[in-house]
Amino acid sequence: MLTTIMPEAILTAAEKYSAKGTHPLTAMFGRDETVFGEGYAIYCYFEVPETKSVDGFKVVFRPESPLEYDSITHIVPAAAWYEREIHDMFGIIPKGHPDLRPLVLHESFPEGFFPLRKSVKVNAKVRGERKYKIRTAKGEGLFEVPVGPIHAGIIEPGHFRFSQAGEAILQLDAKLFFTHRGIEKAVEGKTPYEALPIVERICGACSIANTWSFCQAVEKIVGVSVPRRAEIIRTLLMELERITNHVGDLGNIPAGVGFNPAISLGGRLKEKLMRLCEAVSGNRFLRGVIVPGGVAMDIDAALINHIREVIDDVTDGVEDLSIMFSEQENFQNRIQTTGIIRNRTAVDLAMVGVGARASGYAHDSRSDFDYGVYSELNFKPYTKSMGDVAARLLVRIGELSASFEMVDKLLDMLSSCADTALNVELNYIKGEGWGISESARGSNFHYVALDAAGLIDRLFVRSASYPNWPALTVAVQGDIIPDFPLINKSFELCYACIDR
Amino acid sequence: MEALMTSIGLNLVQGLVLLIFAPLVAGIINKVKARLQKRRGASVLQEYFDICKWWKKATILTPYTSVIFILAPVVYFMTSLVAATMVPGFLTGQFSVGDAFIFVYILALGRFFMTLSSMDAATSFGGMGGSREIYVSVLVEPAIMLAILINSIRYHSTTLSSMVIDYDGAYFTISAVLACIAFFLVMLAENSRLPVDNPDTHLELTMIHEGMTLEYSGRLLSLIHLGSYLKIIVFLTLFGALYVPINIPLAIKILLGAVIIGVVETLNNKMRLFKVRVYLGAATVFLLLAIIAE
Repeated sequence: MLTTIMPEAILTAAEKYSAKGTHPLTAMFGRDETVFGEGYAIYCYFEVPETKSVDGFKVVFRPESPLEYDSITHIVPAAAWYEREIHDMFGIIPKGHPDLRPLVLHESFPEGFFPLRKSVKVNAKVRGERKYKIRTAKGEGLFEVPVGPIHAGIIEPGHFRFSQAGEAILQLDAKLFFTHRGIEKAVEGKTPYEALPIVERICGACSIANTWSFCQAVEKIVGVSVPRRAEIIRTLLMELERITNHVGDLGNIPAGVGFNPAISLGGRLKEKLMRLCEAVSGNRFLRGVIVPGGVAMDIDAALINHIREVIDDVTDGVEDLSIMFSEQENFQNRIQTTGIIRNRTAVDLAMVGVGARASGYAHDSRSDFDYGVYSELNFKPYTKSMGDVAARLLVRIGELSASFEMVDKLLDMLSSCADTALNVELNYIKGEGWGISESARGSNFHYVALDAAGLIDRLFVRSASYPNWPALTVAVQGDIIPDFPLINKSFELCYACIDR
Repeated sequence: MEALMTSIGLNLVQGLVLLIFAPLVAGIINKVKARLQKRRGASVLQEYFDICKWWKKATILTPYTSVIFILAPVVYFMTSLVAATMVPGFLTGQFSVGDAFIFVYILALGRFFMTLSSMDAATSFGGMGGSREIYVSVLVEPAIMLAILINSIRYHSTTLSSMVIDYDGAYFTISAVLACIAFFLVMLAENSRLPVDNPDTHLELTMIHEGMTLEYSGRLLSLIHLGSYLKIIVFLTLFGALYVPINIPLAIKILLGAVIIGVVETLNNKMRLFKVRVYLGAATVFLLLAIIAE
């Protein structure tokens, strides 16, 4: 499916496949194929909206040739992080990259250590002193504000360095990947079934999205289609996960400005939804439902009624919240024109999810790809054009009402579905496949390659937060530092998703 | 001489009484906020427990701080306590020690030391908190001075105790109502409450007053918090005695004031930092109008 090219041809290929930016970069990652008697390779996938699919190229480095190529960041700005990550993980050098500092491996790793090479053992213990220079602005009257990696709230680690002129933010540099877990390395040599619980735990908020993308990829390799009942249940759970996350965000964004009644109401609604998740799947994070080949459990009539009741209740609550937001003038004043991402920026960085759609970029895997039963639900992406915190909040509210309607339809479809099969047997064969699903934060892409024994040779996970993190540093420019927590919350970016 | 000693004695007793009840008033504000958000909330006595907890904990000092760092909480607490003895309240003798200008600048002294200490540990959050605190206080000061001027025009004195609302005369005037509203707005800003500052937040980047206290622990922290609670009750007492033109007992006014702060903090979210000047500008205009009406 992928066109194989030599490193010299990468610039032309990038130009061709990105189609002047109309085909956003989905993922770019390396792979060590030395065990098959070949060299290293870089895979580059672009989304093709016209065919509802992905297409791209594979750059192969022959064992004897140097591990370097011309950086495509100048043509495809979204490639900047991917190229840095490939550089860290495989030691393949993108020549002319504008910022080739380490991305994943910070000071505590030695130079010349490339963990995703097959020659490195999964339990390798290393210590080192790499150089890492945080980016700052220099000048008279300017000062730096370091924040993190330990934060005041109970959140994950990330270091932010603000360059300030008084309260105004001139530049923000984010140092992330502090708790990289090497999940992609850890699942190598495991069967998809063994890897599933690990993939499921990449992030607490996107269990369904991660497992669904992963299972899609595996199912593509094997070449089976999932029973209809399983497809409906998967879609239903995906929407339930989205509702839980979006409602949680509606309660979290006001925390950036101390809007107490909204924080409390949002928290209360989220708890109701998490209890619903527990009633449905036995787990508050919806774990253990999706398996390769289908789903592990059914949703019976009693549960359908329970879901309806809770969703009705939450629908009312979200309406209250949305009235609260629109009537609070002081709150509107805080969120409007704050943290703007322009449409051009969103497209250039190949942003996904709420962040993209709030800037008028109608990117949504539910309509861009054909998976689950979304094609029967008449789904249309919900967009706003302002690109500020208010737009991101409104997109979430708009998507929630769409999701409530979809859940209603899905429950009808489920009760009238005569098909009782929940999953199919899979016989693993050698091959490679990809899967994509729209998580609450945006599109979630997985690439899986199985070897002849049906064991995972390479897993690559591109979660929704990955392309959106760089956008945060753009969004804060021109704002003042006390607005940063609000802007940050409006993106709701995930550390665990990128620390995979 | 004996009368003077009695007056001073009564003022000191009043300071202690306010000190004892200060954490309770803070607890009531928090309880009101919790109930309005449909939460059960912590006990109204929680602030007493907190103060005791911090008092028992070890005080950790970074090696980079100077004596200012230890001195500031003590000065801050003592100035609040002195202010508490000065406000015209329940126990006022024949002689008053409470001059309005001294009162305002005693509190300014405490704030000055806190801002110094915020820079002493040389952390970025402290410096940010300190600079914002000065920004807010520069705007608060003229408003408070105007509020005092209104009463000194009315009662021909700058002594706080002689400014207490005289219910025998015409007290429910336009001027009094305007001053009441304006003083309440200023009180919220001065005590780092919403919508100017958020006392409950953990987000360091947004902090004003809390930003300055981040480096503190143990007894020094408990002194700062006690000083802040004391400042709230002092301002509520002043508000009740001088600016609430309703003839009810002062204790009830304080209680009502605490409840209203709780309600206002629930109804509002924090405003943009640079909007604070508009907010305090509005309060100042109200006070100017009140002076004209007077």
